Amino acid sequence: MLRLLKCPIFVDIKQSKMNLTTKSTKMKLEKLIIAFVLVLGVSCSKNDPIIPNEEELITTLTYTLTPTDGGDDVVLIYKDLDAEGTSFDAEITNGTLEANKTYSGVITLSNESEDPAENMTEEVEEEANDHQFFFIDIPTGFTIRYDDSDSDGNPIGLSTIVETKDTYVGGDLTIILKHEPNKFAEDITIYDATNAGGETDIEVTFEMN
Amino acid sequence: MPKYLFFITIAFLCTNLFGQKCNFALSGIVVEKSKGEVVPNTYVYIEELSIGVMTNEKGEFKFPFLCAGDYHLNIDHVGCETKHVFLHFTASEQIDVVIEHYVQMLDGVHLLGHKSEVTTQSVQSIGYQNIQKNANENLGNLLEGLTGVSTLKNGSGIAKPVVHGMYGNRVMVLNNGVVQSGQQWGNDHSPEIDPMVASNIKVIKGVGALEYQGSSLGSFVSVEPKEISDDPHLHGASNSFYESNGNGVGLNFTLEKSDKYFDWRLVGTLKKFGDRSASNYYLTNTGSGEANLALQLKKQWNSDWLTKAYLSSFNTELGVLKGSHISTESDLESALIQDIPFNTKGTFSYEIESPRQLVNHHLLKVFNQYRVSANETYEFIYSGQLNLRQEFDIRTQGKSDVPAMKINQNTHNVEVKHQHIVDQWKLKQGVQYTFTNNTNSNGETGLKPLIPDYLSHQLGVFGLATLKKNSWMYELGARYNFTYQNSAVIKQILKTSATTGNEYLQDTISKYNNYFHTIGLSSGIRYRTQKDLHWAFNVGITSRNPAINELYSNGLHQGVAAIEIGNSELKQETGAKATLGLEGDVAQKLFFESLVYYQYINDYIFLNPLTGDDGIDSTTRGVYRVYEYDQTNAEIFGLDVAVTYQFTDNIKTKMKYSFLRGNNLSENIPLINMPANNLLANIDYNLPKFGYFTNNYVGVDYKYVWQQTHYKDGQDFIDPPNAYQLMGLKIGTTTKWKNTKIDIYSKATNVLNISYRDYLNRLRYFADENGRSITIGVKFSF
Repeated sequence: MLRLLKCPIFVDIKQSKMNLTTKSTKMKLEKLIIAFVLVLGVSCSKNDPIIPNEEELITTLTYTLTPTDGGDDVVLIYKDLDAEGTSFDAEITNGTLEANKTYSGVITLSNESEDPAENMTEEVEEEANDHQFFFIDIPTGFTIRYDDSDSDGNPIGLSTIVETKDTYVGGDLTIILKHEPNKFAEDITIYDATNAGGETDIEVTFEMN
Repeated sequence: MPKYLFFITIAFLCTNLFGQKCNFALSGIVVEKSKGEVVPNTYVYIEELSIGVMTNEKGEFKFPFLCAGDYHLNIDHVGCETKHVFLHFTASEQIDVVIEHYVQMLDGVHLLGHKSEVTTQSVQSIGYQNIQKNANENLGNLLEGLTGVSTLKNGSGIAKPVVHGMYGNRVMVLNNGVVQSGQQWGNDHSPEIDPMVASNIKVIKGVGALEYQGSSLGSFVSVEPKEISDDPHLHGASNSFYESNGNGVGLNFTLEKSDKYFDWRLVGTLKKFGDRSASNYYLTNTGSGEANLALQLKKQWNSDWLTKAYLSSFNTELGVLKGSHISTESDLESALIQDIPFNTKGTFSYEIESPRQLVNHHLLKVFNQYRVSANETYEFIYSGQLNLRQEFDIRTQGKSDVPAMKINQNTHNVEVKHQHIVDQWKLKQGVQYTFTNNTNSNGETGLKPLIPDYLSHQLGVFGLATLKKNSWMYELGARYNFTYQNSAVIKQILKTSATTGNEYLQDTISKYNNYFHTIGLSSGIRYRTQKDLHWAFNVGITSRNPAINELYSNGLHQGVAAIEIGNSELKQETGAKATLGLEGDVAQKLFFESLVYYQYINDYIFLNPLTGDDGIDSTTRGVYRVYEYDQTNAEIFGLDVAVTYQFTDNIKTKMKYSFLRGNNLSENIPLINMPANNLLANIDYNLPKFGYFTNNYVGVDYKYVWQQTHYKDGQDFIDPPNAYQLMGLKIGTTTKWKNTKIDIYSKATNVLNISYRDYLNRLRYFADENGRSITIGVKFSF
């Protein structure tokens, strides 16, 4: 009852009474409101909603390319703190590869929207048969192959080998992670996920130089 | 059936047994409603006696020697809806029978003044027969044939009405006089109403709906259930149909009786559709199912007190086109250009998978009327609505069966109305209070809600005055509303970790309190220049406070495959509208009606598709287009014209044309998502009685929809689709078997199986509209 008295609606109704036309309407109105506020037990403040625990959110994908003949790592990072929202823009770190070189690539995933950040790579490793990375858009003179496999002998894509030819000048590199794809489907290659089906867990594009 | 016959026989025997005299005369005159003219050549038939007579030139009929008893009369006239009259006949009597011409009835050339009019605003309606013969259609599609009315669709099964360019929060839908609550904000949300309950669906293309506490910016749609007949015998009907497109089947039944204690009516509907098909492929996952039940009760306690109760339950499951769920940016780009949507299967199926919607809507209305005198009444009305909406999305880890959105909305509304007739003035005032409580089940969905939890209190008062004097009718109305909203919004804020120094997000709850004062004013004038010509002019101002979704929605709206972002800074919008209508007829042969309107909206709230990089957002649930709520000054103006020419009583042709233009005045560009101009034409031929078959008709429809060219390049993801034209056919007849009336009807839509897309279909980015479809239905009434 105390809460009802504090209710801002009452204050405002009283103020807005001036707008009402007749005295009897005013009386009716007041009685009506009081009666129904009581009857319905309504309040003026919505209870706090449950904050959902949004699982399996991937905010960050890191692709580290290490030259096999030595040299500095090339680290590509895609980070979007609110993966499903639009309040925060993604931060993308692009990289430069050299022509005629071989790199070993490693992808790591994490959920950095939480503190401490959650390692999502383990999730993919644990459910390796239900996950596969594809590189659906690649720069000219860039080839890539899988360097790992799940228990069925199908590739996963957390580890890869990249080779650049002398025609390499850079371009877009698009990586997608498919969840529950049909890994046995026909005509699927590391470049083509068309027949794999499944859902996309994450899709990122880097501009390679 | 035999049971019923038995009942009648007994009833008969009784009347005769008690030896009443059988020399009473029943006579009467049949009058046409709109003009008040007598109708010759009308067949008046008494079911119980299987006898009938034709009315003479003066519209008169007479049964000279009848016994006292209860009689059911059928009054049939070519081009008119069959009228049923129940008569408790005790002595010689003269009755007046009012029938309505199809010209006025079918799709309602009720524009302005007829004898029966109650408003100066423009009213169009769809009558009972038309609703019954379109049992396969949902409410939105039913209304599409009216001038100035279009539908905003989301695939095949989801449609909401657009009146004069307004929809959703701006077009109030009245379900038996109750403002339909529910989540009508969503463009993918159909009004949760079963049209089969209705005797009449009206669209008021007006300037204000001040009697009702909803958010209307002028026009509204009113679904009115059939009044329970005062017939003391059990009557009913069953109406079933098959539709070829989607292999749809449906069954509707009605039972009604005026009982000793109260009058009741029960209506139930079941519908099931599988995948619809476009002209050359299946629209995979567009099936739907529906199960509805409505109960009407009426009790006249004494001459002063009347109670009516209405209880309805509407339940539906709707599949959303599989191909509208796009998971990657590259897929989205190709989906926009490819002919056949993704995930299209080569076979038909009744199965509904995610994405899909499950909606339950329950309504209870209790209406009490107290009659102070013949000229004064009070009405006390309570209505409560429960709306549960669940939307299922394609989710990983077997979560496709866990809703991605689950909203429970409860609404309670109490109102008191007072009506008083003083001399030529009709006055009506009222007070209304509405409480709305909207709660998401975040714990179950595991996702942040698209629109937040909120509650609102709304209080309104209104007053209306109507004056009829000679050939003039004046109308004045005013409304004031106070709205309080309290929302609990989950927001993410950026934090820096104390341990690692990295940035992370923290969910917090922000409470918003909003207070809105809105007003509505309207005035109208109607003048009957002469018997066959009326004109009417209306002006009105209405304001609408921003709805919760416009303020705070944030996230993926799966049903329309889009991310929608609210704007908490929105102000209320105010619209001023003027309409000028002209209606008349020439020698009862050529009927015409026209309505010109102009509406200016200050701070018009609209969903603006962002363009460029901002226009597409990649989420872990896929890649989606991004829309943001925005405000601008806007104008909408247009013209609706309908012309009917009646060659004979049996053949008539009708043409309807709607022109509409919307402008975003602040930016000096066209307003997005405005209906394209369209033309409808049809010819109906009522064939003469043929053997046992009466009410025979055939008809051809033609529809042409122009391309929306009032559009700025790049305003939307793809340009508006091309113009299209559609052909339709219909045929039907009525026969009788013993005391059962049998209506058989059939119709074909998109006869030429045209492949086309409509600008107001939100899935036009991905798929075509429905291809050819043939519906056959049969209705038994007793």
